[in-house]
Amino acid sequence: MRAFERSMSRRAAGVVRLALVLPLMALVSVDMARANDPRTILDAYVAQAGSASAARGERLYRGKFTGGRTAESCTACHTDNPKAAGQHVRTHKGIDPLAPVAQRDRFTDAAKVEKWFKRNCNDVLGRECTVQEKADFTAYMISIR
Amino acid sequence: MERTGSGINWKNLALLTLGVAGTLFWIAQAPASDDAVFPMPSGRLYAAECGGCHTAYAPGFLPARSWRRMMNELADHFGEDVSLPEPERLAILKDLELLAADNPQASQRMRRIAASIPANAAPQRISETAFFRFMHDEVPNHFWRRKKIGSKANCGACHIRADQGRYGEREVRIPPAD
Ligand code: HEC
Ligand code: HEC
Repeated sequence: MRAFERSMSRRAAGVVRLALVLPLMALVSVDMARANDPRTILDAYVAQAGSASAARGERLYRGKFTGGRTAESCTACHTDNPKAAGQHVRTHKGIDPLAPVAQRDRFTDAAKVEKWFKRNCNDVLGRECTVQEKADFTAYMISIR
Repeated sequence: MERTGSGINWKNLALLTLGVAGTLFWIAQAPASDDAVFPMPSGRLYAAECGGCHTAYAPGFLPARSWRRMMNELADHFGEDVSLPEPERLAILKDLELLAADNPQASQRMRRIAASIPANAAPQRISETAFFRFMHDEVPNHFWRRKKIGSKANCGACHIRADQGRYGEREVRIPPAD
């Protein structure tokens, strides 16, 4: 009997604790979804570009270009498979996969995404990417399962 | 019946055990050689801005004048435009100067690196300094061409804790042949 009571009170304490912690967790996860969801970054590009096409994004990813000085395509460093780890063609440093499905922190930090679009579009295309191109590229990366 | 403090008793045994455990812990924690550990800038700025394309190099591999020159030429950094907003550029430069090979608090090894670089030179490549060549003269040439390595400046490919400035012998793993 006593053991039963003890276990009941322990369970009650557990419920109370859960009741306290759950809303907190919900709050945190809502906040993380806001800061860390690749969709948020896509939405922001779509808001400027009007639309996004994953198919066009894939053509940009796989396309061969002559304008840049570092590489002729995105795939030169990121490989044919956005879910695979890549390697920088000049420094040979390993690069984590680009697709969020394979690398959770991808497309979760808007400033970082902008910085690397700026750099790498210049490296490959010899110019900055348009908002449309960024929207398409992001849509393609998110579409990968 | 009388016991003095110096015999084997529980207190001394406990102290001894504690001492041994402490020493073992200390040995386990100690880096392979203190000299092979180079201080890294604290915070995330340096790793984020200077560790994205290659290893975030420890500032202690070059003298402050080298870093000053590099941080003044970011628009053409080995052919790349790595320009930074002025506040970030200055913050990174400050860290680099603070931990450079010739800083007043530099370790023995850093001071030797600084001394090996002619006073009128401000080399930009760590991988071409005399110090680097001396440290790697036993690495066969074909190693550098292995796919996962590819370049002498790809420190992190072999020095698995390079991002923490740790270059000790025990923290080297050379990627296998392709
Ligand atoms: C956009 C990519 C990029 C960024 C960002 C970048 N670098 Fe580099 N860095 C390079 C490339 C490319 C090389 C030359 C690699 C080669 O030819 O071996 C290089 C070479 C170097 C070298 C010489 C390596 C050696 O010993 O041969 C140093 C030192 C260096 N970078 C420091 C920095 C610092 C400090 C920063 C931050 C302000 C920085 N880099 C940011 C691309 C970058
Ligand atoms: C091929 C893989 C490889 C690469 C790439 C590489 N190293 Fe090394 N490095 C070694 C080996 C092997 C040693 C010798 C290990 C030993 O006996 O201490 C060594 C030794 C060192 C040491 C001396 C460590 C000690 O215990 O005294 C330093 C410092 C060092 N490397 C720095 C660098 C830096 C900086 C870079 C990049 C600019 C670099 N290394 C790139 C393989 C590499």
